[in-house]
Amino acid sequence: MPKAPAETYQSTVRKPDDFHAFWEAVLREAAAVPLEPEVIPDPLRTSEDVEVFQVFYTSLDQVRVAAWYCRPVHRVERTPAVMVLPGYQMDPPIPKEWARKGYAALSVAPRGKLRSNRQFNPGYPNLLTYNIVDRHTYAYRGFYVDTWRGIDFLLARPEVDPARLGVTGSSQGGGLTITTAAMRSEVRAASAGAPYLCGFADAVELTHTYPYEEINDYLRLHPERRAEVEETLAYFDGVNFADRISCPIIVNIGLQDNVCPPETGYALFERIGSADKHLYPYDGHGHDAGRARHTAVVDRFFARHLLGREVSQ
Amino acid sequence: MIEPTPAAVREYWQETLGALAHYPARPEIELLPLRSTTFATLFGVRLTSLGPYRLFGYLSIPTGAGPFPAIYYPPKYQSVLEIIPQGTANLQRSRYVTFALAGRGQRNADTPYAAMFPGLLTEGIDRAASYVFRGIVADSVRGLEFLLTRAEVDPARVVVAGNDLALIAAASTAGATHVVTTPALFYKTAELAPKTQAYPLEEINDYVRTYPARAEAVRRTLAHYDLVSFAPRVAAATLLMAGAPGTLLDGAALQPLAAALRGPVTVYESRQSLYKDGLYAEQWMAAQCDIADVESILPEHWRG
Repeated sequence: MPKAPAETYQSTVRKPDDFHAFWEAVLREAAAVPLEPEVIPDPLRTSEDVEVFQVFYTSLDQVRVAAWYCRPVHRVERTPAVMVLPGYQMDPPIPKEWARKGYAALSVAPRGKLRSNRQFNPGYPNLLTYNIVDRHTYAYRGFYVDTWRGIDFLLARPEVDPARLGVTGSSQGGGLTITTAAMRSEVRAASAGAPYLCGFADAVELTHTYPYEEINDYLRLHPERRAEVEETLAYFDGVNFADRISCPIIVNIGLQDNVCPPETGYALFERIGSADKHLYPYDGHGHDAGRARHTAVVDRFFARHLLGREVSQ
Repeated sequence: MIEPTPAAVREYWQETLGALAHYPARPEIELLPLRSTTFATLFGVRLTSLGPYRLFGYLSIPTGAGPFPAIYYPPKYQSVLEIIPQGTANLQRSRYVTFALAGRGQRNADTPYAAMFPGLLTEGIDRAASYVFRGIVADSVRGLEFLLTRAEVDPARVVVAGNDLALIAAASTAGATHVVTTPALFYKTAELAPKTQAYPLEEINDYVRTYPARAEAVRRTLAHYDLVSFAPRVAAATLLMAGAPGTLLDGAALQPLAAALRGPVTVYESRQSLYKDGLYAEQWMAAQCDIADVESILPEHWRG
C-alpha cells in the first residue's frame, strides 16, 4: 500500500489542561535565580573580524550553563543578535559565521552538553529519557530553561539591540527554537530546521532511529510506565508550545528525514500561532532538511527582520 | 620547512603501534538490557589502549547464528559516542555486528582526559610525539583489533566506517575488508585549512594565528597524519565519500587520495542531501557484505 503523504498525517499530540500553568510556575522559579553572567575573552578563537568569548550563566537548579558568544569587531552601537541552539548530540558550535554576517551571536550549551555537564550529566544516549516519568524533574525541564536564559544574557549585553533578537537551530536546535520563540516574547524572528522534540509520541511510531529510539528502548524495558511517559512528554512537546509563537517564523523540513519524521514537522507547523509563518518542505532531503539550499533563505529572513534590509537571491 | 622523511613517518607509526602492543586490551564486557532488543543484544565494552588508557565502546550482536558481517565505527570528531550513527535504522543491528568506539577524551572515555570540541584537533599539535591523535589512532586500531577477536564476526566482511580514522585504522592493522571514509581532518590539512573558516579545520587556523612561531611544528606534525601516506597500505575495497562539487574536499580534490589507495575505490561526491548520501553508503555496504534485502534495514523514510 502506498504511504500516505506526510502532510495528511493526524498527530496524536494533546495539550494537558494545566500546560501553561506548569510552565508559568517553572518560569517564576527560574526568574528567582540570578543570572550571574561571566564573559571571558577567548584570544585563541578570536580573529581580526570576530571577537569570541566563553560565557557562563546560572540557570534553574543553580546549574551553570556554558555558551560561546561572538560579536563582529566592526559593529554598530546596538547590534541585532541571534541565539543559536544545538542539535541533540552535536557539540555547540562557535557561531563566528553569524558574527561575520553582522549579528552578535550566542551558541548555548544547555545542561549535560560538553562544558555544561559538571552538575548534570545524564549522558548520550540517556538525556531523552532521564526522569521521563516525572515532568517536575525530567531532563528537558531545566534544559529548556537554559536556552530561554540565553535571551536574558543577550538582553543584558549593552551592545545588543533588545528589539532585534532572533533564534535559530536545526534538529534539537529546531525544537528549542520553537520552545524559545513561544516562551520569550522578546524573540522577533525564528528559524527552525528539522524540528526535534515535536510530536514525540508520533515520532516513536513513525521512525526507529536514534535519538527518538531511546524512548522505545525505555518503554520496551518498562512497558508499565507508558502512561507516565506519555503524560510527561505532553508537557515538553514543541507542538504544544507552538500556538504561543507570535513572531515571524520559517520552518524547513526534509521529506525523507530519517531522524525527525516530516509528519511531525507538518503537525508542528499547523499549530504555530504566528500569522507570519512559512514552511519549506524539501523533497529528496533527509535530516539536513535542504540546508544547502535553505541557508540563503534563512539569511534573507533574518536580514529582513533583524538587519532591516533585503538581501538579493 | 623540514618535512619528516617517509622513513621517519614510518618509524613514528611503528613505534606507536609497537607501544600499543605492549598493553593487552583486557576487555570487560557488560550486557546493557536497556538497549537490547529481540533482534540484537548490546554490550558496553571497556578495553585498554596506548597510555595506558581505558576506552569504552558499544558492541551490538545480532540475534541468531553467525557469523555476521560487521561494521566498526572508530571515534568520531565529537564528544558524544553513539551506539550506531544518528538516523541509522536500529534494524541495522539485526544484520551486522556493530562496534562503536569512544576514543580517549570522548564521553564514557573521558576520565582522566576530557577532550574539548573544538580543541581536540590541536591538542599537543606542536610535537608529533605528544599529539593527542597519536593516542586516538592507537585507540582506533585497538578497537578494530578487539572487534576481530569476536567469534560472531565474519572476517571476510568487516567494514570500517567513519572519518579519516576509518582509513588510518584500516591502513594500520590487518582485518578490514571494506572502508567507508569521509575525510575531514587529515587530508592536506596544512594546505587546506587556510582556505576555510569552518571548524574543525578552523582550529588549525586559530592555533597558528595565536602561536605563529609554532606554524612549522604544526606542519611537521600534520605530515605524519596525511591520508595519502596511509593510502598505499589500504587494500580493502573503499568508498571514498567526497564533498559536493566545488567544496574543499570534493572528488577532484581527493583524486590523489583515491589514486593512492591500493584496493578498489569508489568515489562518491555528496549530493548535499543526508538522505541521498546516507542511502548510497548503506546500499554500498550491504552490497559489499552480500546483504540482499537492504530495504528492510533502512530507516522508514528512506524506503521506496
